[in-house]
Amino acid sequence: MSRRGSGWHGWIFRCLLRLYPGWFRDAHGEEMALLFEARLERAEGRGARVRLWWRTLRDAASTAVALRRRDSEGGGHRMETLLQDLRYAARHLLRSPVFTLGAVALLAIGIGANTTVFTVVDALIFRPPPWSHPERVVHVYQDSDDGEPSSSSFPATRDMARSDVFAAVAATTPSSATWEGPDGLQQVSTEYTTSSYMEVLGRSVQRGRWFGPENDVVGGAPVAVVSAAAWHARMGSDPDLVGRTIRLNGQPVTIIGVGPEGLTGTITPLVTDFWLSISATMVSGDFQVANLERREDHWYEVLARLAPGVTVQQAQAAMDALAARLAEDYPEYNRGRGITVFASSDVRMHPQGDGQLKLAGGLLSAVVLTILLLACANLANLLLVRGFSRSGEMAVRSALGAPRGRVARLFLLESILLAVVGGLLGLLLTRWALQALPALPLGDVLPGKMALGIDARVALFSLVLMATTGVLFGLAPAVRTARSDVARALRDDRRGSSTDRGSSRLRSLLVAVQVAASLVLVLGTGLLARSLAALQTVDTGVDADHVAYLRVDWSRAGLEEGQAQAAIDQLRERLGALPGITGVALATRLPAQRSGTTTTEVEGYTPPAGTDAVELPFALVTDGYFETMGIPLVQGRLFDDDDVPGGSGLSIVIDRAAARRFWGDADPIGRRMRGQGSEAWTRTVVGVVGDAPVASLGESPRPMFYFSTRQRPSAPSYLVARTSGDPAVILAPMRRELSGLFPSAVVDAQGTLATHFGSTLSTPRMAARAMGAFSALALLLAGLGIYAVVSFSVARRTSELGIRMALGAECSGVVRMVVREVAGVVVVGLVVGVAVSAFATSQLSGMLYGVGALDPIAFGAAVLVLLGVAWIAAWVPARRAARANPVEALRVS
Amino acid sequence: MSPTTNPRTIPLRPPVYHILLALVGRDRHGLGIADEIERASEGALELGPGTLYRSLSEMTDARLIRAVPAPSADADPRRKYYRITPEGRELLARETARLGRLVETARARGALPEQA
Repeated sequence: MSRRGSGWHGWIFRCLLRLYPGWFRDAHGEEMALLFEARLERAEGRGARVRLWWRTLRDAASTAVALRRRDSEGGGHRMETLLQDLRYAARHLLRSPVFTLGAVALLAIGIGANTTVFTVVDALIFRPPPWSHPERVVHVYQDSDDGEPSSSSFPATRDMARSDVFAAVAATTPSSATWEGPDGLQQVSTEYTTSSYMEVLGRSVQRGRWFGPENDVVGGAPVAVVSAAAWHARMGSDPDLVGRTIRLNGQPVTIIGVGPEGLTGTITPLVTDFWLSISATMVSGDFQVANLERREDHWYEVLARLAPGVTVQQAQAAMDALAARLAEDYPEYNRGRGITVFASSDVRMHPQGDGQLKLAGGLLSAVVLTILLLACANLANLLLVRGFSRSGEMAVRSALGAPRGRVARLFLLESILLAVVGGLLGLLLTRWALQALPALPLGDVLPGKMALGIDARVALFSLVLMATTGVLFGLAPAVRTARSDVARALRDDRRGSSTDRGSSRLRSLLVAVQVAASLVLVLGTGLLARSLAALQTVDTGVDADHVAYLRVDWSRAGLEEGQAQAAIDQLRERLGALPGITGVALATRLPAQRSGTTTTEVEGYTPPAGTDAVELPFALVTDGYFETMGIPLVQGRLFDDDDVPGGSGLSIVIDRAAARRFWGDADPIGRRMRGQGSEAWTRTVVGVVGDAPVASLGESPRPMFYFSTRQRPSAPSYLVARTSGDPAVILAPMRRELSGLFPSAVVDAQGTLATHFGSTLSTPRMAARAMGAFSALALLLAGLGIYAVVSFSVARRTSELGIRMALGAECSGVVRMVVREVAGVVVVGLVVGVAVSAFATSQLSGMLYGVGALDPIAFGAAVLVLLGVAWIAAWVPARRAARANPVEALRVS
Repeated sequence: MSPTTNPRTIPLRPPVYHILLALVGRDRHGLGIADEIERASEGALELGPGTLYRSLSEMTDARLIRAVPAPSADADPRRKYYRITPEGRELLARETARLGRLVETARARGALPEQA
């Protein structure tokens, strides 16, 4: 219709039509445009066209205003109709409670799960930190020995602070402490920070003051600033807190301020309870004080605010220069060690951890999006089925004179009502889930507690998505009703024979989508579960079933330098005399536990990275440790009377992985190591023991070494004992003996080695459980979807089935026929699901242990589970139909 | 419905009168009505699209005219056809009679040139 030359005129006229009320535009807009275009064609010359436009504009303005005024005067009447319809829709929904409950539950689950997960993911990955001008804040990292950006030594942070590319530089390191709070001992998270911290972040305390330069040195008064979150949650917002002295790890620390609201710590969603000054480092023990001066110890994260006008690139150049200077001044520690500057927007937790974090976040988002897809598909299905089964009713209303628009509006209102109620419930679910979340044992998924609030944007997104689904699929039957020929609709409804082909195809498609999506989730669960099972049965190299442990805080036991060995001997003797106990020892760490490493040079071994040293995990153990843990001696000897204290020499026992890595098949006994930077080869290998998990279960064997309290007398914190029976039983006698000997030694953790190993699996177990819960939900949804489709098709064909039965069809034959019809759709869904899974699980392979991403058992099991669910969901309604009395079935029609 | 837009008010507004007049004798669609009015008024009255369709809408509501199926199958399906109702016809007759008396009066007073 757009004739030559009239194109843009016509377009403007169509825009002009927007002035009119919608109903008028719908009724006459098209013809008005035709009329205008016909006139435009007749208008010869520019003047005529201008006059035409002038008249048209005047006409449009006056008539549009008149029409709108008339509409608004008649508005009271329209409002009343709307209310009436709303009431009707609500009543109608309540009359089919199963449908309504189902739809509302779907909406609530979809919106709730989505909002919860995206709130967490957003807080972890996307939300900008609550700093002033975060774009001017950078992270600065010294390289680790592997050449990756890592943490920095405290002396290096001082060097960085002297650079003029930064307006301020803050060093910070997370820690934890035991706080003697009003409700007894509590574990709190702390962060050591420097006086420049608030300046870097551009925030200021809300009460008291922040640290001053006098607090940046050891020897100054130990002071703390409590975070706003902890002030509210742990101290009841006590207004007189500032100036009070608290005890952390038994040491007095004075609180000098309360942090700003909303600032929870360096890593945004994680909550720090106390910021501690550098002058308070002795709270964490001597090593925390000592590392302040050691360039070989890299404990601190650096946050810096760029000086005005300085770019990240310029800061990087300055740090390159600093790295070169450090390499020259301290070649033994800093040769080849770079310094990297990251814009704060490029770092979430740590450059090396962010990948994992984003992977987990992405995976979780994908899973809940799948759930949302399922919920939407199911809701669509429900609404379609309901809408088409009601087309008869709607036709009657039309026939009785209800305007078609109003009939359509009824459908729409029902959908909107459902969306609103479901959405509100979903938000309640989210609130509840977010409150419950911090209480979950997240293990090392998240290194701390999180501060979370519902993100309005996320909630709105989910709500809009679900509401759109509801409206779209609620509208489809409405449109059909509005368009349909009343007589035909009535006829169809009575005969129940002609299902709309398009709609049945749409429903089949929805079922296929649901089957495919749930297959992906079920399969993911299967893989994670198999991986978890493999981890649980992994041969740890440790005889874990009969060992119990206590973690002892010796700091207040008042052991003097020379008393440690005597205390250890006493303790081992007393505990060893207990009935059932066959071995007692102490160690600084348990197997499968992240703990200290030391930078070590190994005689005759050059690490592949080209550095001259390796990071080696170590443990300080007493006699009897290996026997107690069931770690076998492979070669050489264990610690004995030859290992005497004093002197610079140190006997070490290494694990088999270390022997293999460093010396291959050669004899490791008598080989030497030394701490990086030391002059002499001080550590001599005297024995090799079997591999025990070092940092986590399921890892491939890692090099580590042990040295003895015989040569380094001190009391390690883990007291372990072996028994012939149930290890949990000996915990109480162990504690009794310990407190009998050392009344002020505090036990701050206890358990059996088996539970410790179990708890190290908390991350994979959490992942498998979450995935399991989600896929159970998915299965339920898919099952419901199939059930609904089969029920509907059976109900539509009641008379046909009745005739078949009357003509002598077997009950089982009818069931088979009905089930066969849905089987094709299910198979299509399964094929698509397997294809998608094959791609999706490859993303998961990093999280799997001992099972391939294309594990045939997991795939087979997932397909079988879905087939089973689909079969039950189809069989139940089919069976019901086939059982029906043929006479009854025929009478219905 | 507010009285100012009631198309039944006599004297009829010019668009209403002309639309009724255009529909006497045959069904027409909107564009046809507009053309007919322009022709009959010798180009003096060109109804804007808004005026035309607003009037059609109000007249339909007032049952002076009604929408009818297109007269032939090959008519443009986008166009809606209108037919004058008996009520519309009666109203048109009353208004025409009133105008006729008005013309008589004018002629009696010599306001009209002698008929050619």
